Amino acid sequence: MSAAHQLAPEAIASQFRTLFDASAWSAVAPLAALSAGVVLCLITDLSRALAALRGPLVFAALAACAWFQVQLLLHPVGVVLRDSLHGDATSAAFGLLFVAGGLLAWLASHGYYKRDGQAPLAEHDALLLSAVAGMTLMSAANDLLVFFIGLELLSLPLYALSALRRSRAASVEAGLKYFLLGAFTSALFLFGCALIYCATGSIGLDTLRVLAAPGSLPMGELALLGSALIAASLLFKLNVFPFHVWVPDVYQGSPTPVTALMATGTKAAAFAFLLRASFLLPASASTTLALLALITLAIGNLGALVQEDFKRMLAYSGIAHAGTLLLAVAGALGGDPVANGATRAIVFYLAAYVFSAGGAFAVLAALEAGGERFTKLENLRGLWQRKPIAALALALFMLSLGGIPGAGGFWGKWFVFEVLVRADMTGWAIAGVLMSVLALAYYLRVIIALFMQPTPAGIVAPRFERPASLGASLVLCVGAVLLTGLLPGMLLGLLG
Amino acid sequence: MPSSSPPLLVVLTCLPLAGALLLLALPSARTALLRLVALAATLATAGVAAIVWRDYGGEASAFEYAVPWFTLPGSGVEVQFKLGLDGLSFLMCVFTAFLMPIVMLSAYGHVGQRVKEFLVWMLVMETGMLGVFLSLDLVLFYFFWEISLVPLYFVLGIWGGERRLYATLKFFLYTLAGSLLMLVAVIWLVYAARTQGRITQASDLSELMAFAPTLPSTTQAWLFFAFAIAFAIKVPLLPFHTWLPDAHTEAPTAGSVVLAGVLLKMGTYGLLRFCIGLFPEPAARFAPLFMALGAIGIAYGALLAMAQNDIKRLIACSSVSHLGYVVLGLFALTDSGVRGGVLQMVNHGISTGLLFLLVGMVYERRHTRALDEFGGIAKAMPVFAVCFTIAVLSSVGLPGLNGFVGEYMILAGSFEASPLWAAVGTSGLVLGAVYLLSATRRLLLGPVLRRENAELGDLNAREIGLLVPLLVLVVWIGVRPADFLARCEPSLNALVERAQAARVNLASASDEARLLALSSEGDLR
Repeated sequence: MSAAHQLAPEAIASQFRTLFDASAWSAVAPLAALSAGVVLCLITDLSRALAALRGPLVFAALAACAWFQVQLLLHPVGVVLRDSLHGDATSAAFGLLFVAGGLLAWLASHGYYKRDGQAPLAEHDALLLSAVAGMTLMSAANDLLVFFIGLELLSLPLYALSALRRSRAASVEAGLKYFLLGAFTSALFLFGCALIYCATGSIGLDTLRVLAAPGSLPMGELALLGSALIAASLLFKLNVFPFHVWVPDVYQGSPTPVTALMATGTKAAAFAFLLRASFLLPASASTTLALLALITLAIGNLGALVQEDFKRMLAYSGIAHAGTLLLAVAGALGGDPVANGATRAIVFYLAAYVFSAGGAFAVLAALEAGGERFTKLENLRGLWQRKPIAALALALFMLSLGGIPGAGGFWGKWFVFEVLVRADMTGWAIAGVLMSVLALAYYLRVIIALFMQPTPAGIVAPRFERPASLGASLVLCVGAVLLTGLLPGMLLGLLG
Repeated sequence: MPSSSPPLLVVLTCLPLAGALLLLALPSARTALLRLVALAATLATAGVAAIVWRDYGGEASAFEYAVPWFTLPGSGVEVQFKLGLDGLSFLMCVFTAFLMPIVMLSAYGHVGQRVKEFLVWMLVMETGMLGVFLSLDLVLFYFFWEISLVPLYFVLGIWGGERRLYATLKFFLYTLAGSLLMLVAVIWLVYAARTQGRITQASDLSELMAFAPTLPSTTQAWLFFAFAIAFAIKVPLLPFHTWLPDAHTEAPTAGSVVLAGVLLKMGTYGLLRFCIGLFPEPAARFAPLFMALGAIGIAYGALLAMAQNDIKRLIACSSVSHLGYVVLGLFALTDSGVRGGVLQMVNHGISTGLLFLLVGMVYERRHTRALDEFGGIAKAMPVFAVCFTIAVLSSVGLPGLNGFVGEYMILAGSFEASPLWAAVGTSGLVLGAVYLLSATRRLLLGPVLRRENAELGDLNAREIGLLVPLLVLVVWIGVRPADFLARCEPSLNALVERAQAARVNLASASDEARLLALSSEGDLR
């Protein structure tokens, strides 16, 4: 092939056309919408006149992304761009979750930074959209490097976002911690990729799946080490033991809207890829994963049980939920997770979790911004008397996180344990189920504070900074939690 | 019966919920209106239940209503929203709807704060309880079973006594722990029915009734115990009873009445329909264990009750004792034992409900429940004294009143199955008389030692009005139990027959095993 031939414009154009056919475009469209949003967001920072456009712009980008994802959900296009990107129902469903998570974080950020004396920053919105794009890319990736690009597209904005409250030491500390550990994780992932490439000559998941079909990848040890490194980096993003230690500090220190995005979006994105790449792990890893999951569950629940800070409690509860989901992944190992229903179970669980935890963070952010100085659990006491709707919604989210029927979390739990029963891991299911009794103890403590204890002296009713934003979040979250709780068939039907 | 129009049971189940939603829309300051609406909602529900009472004729499944709900993702089981009534659920369903207006009326006396929330939770609770009794789909049943925890959690935690937070958390976590074991069993069973039994609607109870007994007997035993522990905690059966006295003591009167009247019966109902109904073989095999726990519970609960000074705690302990009878009767697996057990579920609801209501009325006047604070209040409250005495006699099992019929049938039925445990159970009759009559003496009779007790006002018209329906039932069931039991009998007989057949199979199987063992020993020789 001569250099002249390579550079010929028509040739490039024709290559481009074959690569970017109609189906490729529809798979890329959600990402394109978000990326356009990022660029336009930064442009609005150029003049004060444009700043007013930023809100509608972010909303439009998210809405466009959601619309494209719905199109994908209804008309999946399969794998595109030389087998590197998925445009299937699973990636679309995950994508919609990320849009929801991004929307919730964005709504929660309204008025949140006002108390720091910071004007609303264009960077904030741009970074947020970029993080959502990163998650979307992670869940759609069918290639280790594409996933890595998504991971960085997500992580770098999150490092910056978590340190956004520059005047607060905790926020800066959270950013630094997250960055150091995250960078280390990225390195682990890349090294894992390199080892796998060295062993197999490929980084495409489709090729690897064919190579792994006989039972294990060629050059076993090298590839296994690579898979283990990749799994470790994913476990870091999933907050799974033994990679969970950073979580409470970072979650507590970061601005609450950012915490919401980390807790819901990052976790979902990492699970999406873990499911896709689960074939890299040998079926015998199932016990190890289940054991890690159970330890994670125990750490998360026991940790949450003793917290006096609501935000930190939610961080530990997020660890516990990751444990439950990892149990499902362990149950799905050694089979096709889409075929055996594990993917649908996990997407359902995550959907319930995103809206329950996202809603809880939204209330928390509004309370912080509205003058409740601390995120201490005791400050929630008697909230029912001060802010009945917020308290009621928060109670619903707690019940959903605890897996009580009527809320979506219940079916999520059911479906996950069904995966375990199906995989003949009933003993693990029982262990997991008993853990959720522990979990309920602290969710109920929140409800006790909200409804059953009097308001402590010296606490005045908060004035919500942006009641409309909070209202929108609550409508979205309460609606989603109840809908998944009462009519789970609707979401399941969408997932195929 | 094909689904009738309008679907009677759906209306029955959803009416309280509709009432609750209506309440939410009303302003919380207008308490009189709120109470009226709540009362009207429960009365309307009771009206629908009256139609059920009139029209049910003892069919195996009446007023059935089923629509597809959703499909489980892992197993592909088509879950239905399926309600239906049979002889097992008939009495409890009608009784629940009958009891709730009384509870609502009683709340006028002791719920003065946050009235709207209280009424909403009570109505939601009614929907949950009716859903539990009427579900004919295992997944739907579990849904209602667990959701019915939430309203009581709030009622206990907001309107309860001093140690309410401890009591409510204990109640919730205790019950939940058992329920979650059942959840795994439900998932397992439904999945097995789908894959092994190739049943599409694998959570349908009638399908499961056919499928579950075909499983290997060890598997059945595991499943049986997973269900049984959940129900035993709810009942509560002996080793799992510790949450009940706390919950009862701390609950407001209305909460106690519903707890004793209906919520505990969800446990015994579950034992009957699911443990005995789905798994007749392990039920027959482990029946002696449950009879023993029931009988020991009778005596132990009675002994606990004897030691109490707090009258409410005393009644709570007597609940443990009385529910021991129900379990003893159900696991006798004989015709009269099971019938007695089913009747006693209602009886206990009536007599213990009455006692809690009456104690609540006295508490509203005196603000204490300690027995040694009282004495001689019969002089000041003659009407109260009469009602209380009737309730006590009903609870003790005086012939001619409801308690006697149930207890007699249970003891007769369990004597057929196990004379020993029937005898232990009978001790409860004596002990019951001891603690209840002595409590009556300490409360009502003797000299008036405190001035406050002499100045107590007697029951007012509202209070008498809400007691009368229950007192009528006390006598009605005592005199004509057939009005209540006759229509349950076809379903109960079918259930007993299944269990008896399983028991016979079990006996012949163990005979065969013994013969085999003997013959193999012979071979060895």
